[in-house]
Amino acid sequence: MTMSQSHERTPSDPHVLDQPWRLWATVAVMSTVLMGILLGVVVIPVVQGRGAGLDAFTAICRALGLLPGSPAQPQPLDRTPPTPVSQVVWTPDVLQILARADIAKGRAKVQEVCIACHGEAGVSPSPDFPHLAGQSGAAIYKQLHDYRTGSRVHPQMTDVAKALDESTIPDVAAYYAGQPQRNLNPVTLAESPRAIVNLIELGDPSRNIPPCAACHRAGAGGPIEAPVLAEQHAEYLIQQLKLYASGQRRNDVYARMRLIASRLIEEEMKGLAAYYRAGFR
Amino acid sequence: MRNVDRLCLAHFWVAFGAFLFACLIGTWQMWVRSPLGANIGTPGQYFMSVTAHGVSMAYVLTTFFIMGFGYFVAVTALNRPLPGRLWAWAAFWIALLGVVVTIIPIGLGKASVLFTFYPPLTASAWFYIGLVLVVAGSWIWCVLMLVAMSAWKREHPGQPVPLAMFATVANAVMWLWTTIGVAVQLVFQVIPAALGLVQTIDVGLARTLFSWTLHAIVYFWLIPAYIAFYTMVPRAAGGRLYSDTMGRLTFILFLIYSLPVGMHHLLMDPQHGNAMKFVQVLLTAFVAVPTLLTIFTITASLEIAGRLRGGRGLFGWIAALPWERPMVLATGLGFVMLGFGGFGGIINMGYGMNAMVHNTSWVTAHFHLIFGGSVVIMYFAIAYEIWPRLTGRDHMSLAPLRMQLWLWFVGMMVMTLPWHWLGLQGQWRRVANFNYADPIIAGWGPWVVVSLVGGFVLLISALLFVRNLAVLHRGTVVAVPRALYAVAVHPPKRVPAALNGFGLWNVLVLVLMVLAYGFPIAQFLIEPSPSAIVHRVR
Repeated sequence: MTMSQSHERTPSDPHVLDQPWRLWATVAVMSTVLMGILLGVVVIPVVQGRGAGLDAFTAICRALGLLPGSPAQPQPLDRTPPTPVSQVVWTPDVLQILARADIAKGRAKVQEVCIACHGEAGVSPSPDFPHLAGQSGAAIYKQLHDYRTGSRVHPQMTDVAKALDESTIPDVAAYYAGQPQRNLNPVTLAESPRAIVNLIELGDPSRNIPPCAACHRAGAGGPIEAPVLAEQHAEYLIQQLKLYASGQRRNDVYARMRLIASRLIEEEMKGLAAYYRAGFR
Repeated sequence: MRNVDRLCLAHFWVAFGAFLFACLIGTWQMWVRSPLGANIGTPGQYFMSVTAHGVSMAYVLTTFFIMGFGYFVAVTALNRPLPGRLWAWAAFWIALLGVVVTIIPIGLGKASVLFTFYPPLTASAWFYIGLVLVVAGSWIWCVLMLVAMSAWKREHPGQPVPLAMFATVANAVMWLWTTIGVAVQLVFQVIPAALGLVQTIDVGLARTLFSWTLHAIVYFWLIPAYIAFYTMVPRAAGGRLYSDTMGRLTFILFLIYSLPVGMHHLLMDPQHGNAMKFVQVLLTAFVAVPTLLTIFTITASLEIAGRLRGGRGLFGWIAALPWERPMVLATGLGFVMLGFGGFGGIINMGYGMNAMVHNTSWVTAHFHLIFGGSVVIMYFAIAYEIWPRLTGRDHMSLAPLRMQLWLWFVGMMVMTLPWHWLGLQGQWRRVANFNYADPIIAGWGPWVVVSLVGGFVLLISALLFVRNLAVLHRGTVVAVPRALYAVAVHPPKRVPAALNGFGLWNVLVLVLMVLAYGFPIAQFLIEPSPSAIVHRVR
């Protein structure tokens, strides 16, 4: 029945008029989707799988994502043992432990151990030791772990970290992270040369240097362990950049900081350090 | 002024206020990414701006315009008072509160996540809560549209619902289905992550749920344009609608085929096998059908009008059409943009071809041309058409209206055609700046400048649009009441229940969604995938 006919006709019962619609609409819609399923789940995988030497069952399972897809040609396995630069893995468990750390326990440990160099509030008296107030908890956690496992080496910190109880590390990290926030946007407090601000905000694509702010802003964008740099000792920052550039410090995942630091000239290191140091209260 | 007129105008002015703001910052974004404005502004500011632009255009302009337009249609097409006027005002204020709650974190730089919800990047929870309020307001609107239609049906048993209202309710029903995906994603995944209740998030599941919403939402924005095509354009052109049934079928097809297709946005995603991607791509092809039906029906309707006006020969009727009328002009220009944009979309839809243009400027060009071009130009035409009915004052001259529509068309073409080309060159989207010192990227520079010129033309057009409406409020010409909605060549006296309601189609949507999304979503629950660390924008 076509619609033009139905307009002319005066139907006796709306149900009679509607019956073919219910039937044919269902048939039309179901046949399109079933045809799609037949083609997508069966015909195409089986036909294409035959060319790649797959049996029908494997091909269908792979098309549905039930079996892993893999290149038709097996790739040679790499037998070189991996040498991770850090043993820290950001599993959901680790993140939950960090999120539920006990700040009071952290404070007790800080007053017992860390206070001498990093200060009770995380404000260190000497440029040899970094400020920790308002530092990212994940960053502190990773560095302490890296000292424990030897991924990062320091004459004092290696022993201090090894003496710490595993379970207190998140507490200490959370305590310092909770100290009064540092100014996260230092450029508002100090005038910096345009070239330095550009390096921070835009990077230098011609040298493959990404913007510092891509990771070292307070917000998202970088890896979770990227530390907050604002209001840090300039001398400390320069020292760390030099250690990265020379390869003496090597606990950065994917050698990110080693690559970046090795492309910076000394004036830029100083300029960046001055920028991030700005406005310490 | 009737209360319902004030209700409509309040919605429209929020929509167009957001639109003008988004045009201003959109032009700024193009400027800083071009060789002319390189290195002005920071990536942080750029992404903040893109977020504000996307939210204003995609959520505020559209939702408020559609709600206001829906109230207008419910009153004028059904010729009865709007039920639940207080609810409608409550919905307006809830949605407006949502806009404020969303805009504040964006302005503070705590929500620079663009306007799509792709974890693990998460904004301030307020950003999402604000958008939930906007959607909550629109849900009240949906219910009011359903109530208005069923009340009319009770009063007019056996009579066909006027097409404009049938289409509006189709959109409301589709919107209720559409928002389920994103609502589940926000409530169970994104907002807990944003609040810090969970530290990791299943990105694959989140993207799948968002895809549920992502394609149908585009049709939610598009349907007002189609309502104008079917119910206003034939009358404005001086003719009749070629087929009322075709209109009903079109809106029904949008309802059933806009939903089970969203996974074509995930063609490059690894969390789904090829089989279900294929199924949804095939269903995507069917969504082209209602658009082709519309092109045919509206062209036929315009031909009727052209011949009634004395047009002769194969194409003579085209010249005989009253192109000086904004609604007719907008339709012509909108069809051209729909043509280019539609072909671009077919490229995106193809599994293989999508791989070449995925995440390039091609995609940005496509949705600007389709939505910003053909849909928004019809929003303009609708506004020009109904403003005199809302204010009681008529346009003093149609010349600035035509000028504005032409500027919008030219600007959109000049902006988006180079983007398509740049996309084919591999220019990526969603980046804050380009290093034009790089010899490969340097070659893009001239095309980026051309598209920037298009952007400025669009900005001028946007300013002219708001000026045209503002002038009307102070105008002295009294509007003469005239019919708005087109009559069909064969006005329906009685239609089957299937073409007069949505019961059957809701059942079919449910079946289609179970078949298309059942397994893709169930697989995450059967075998949870590795979760990603939540990245919170603070």
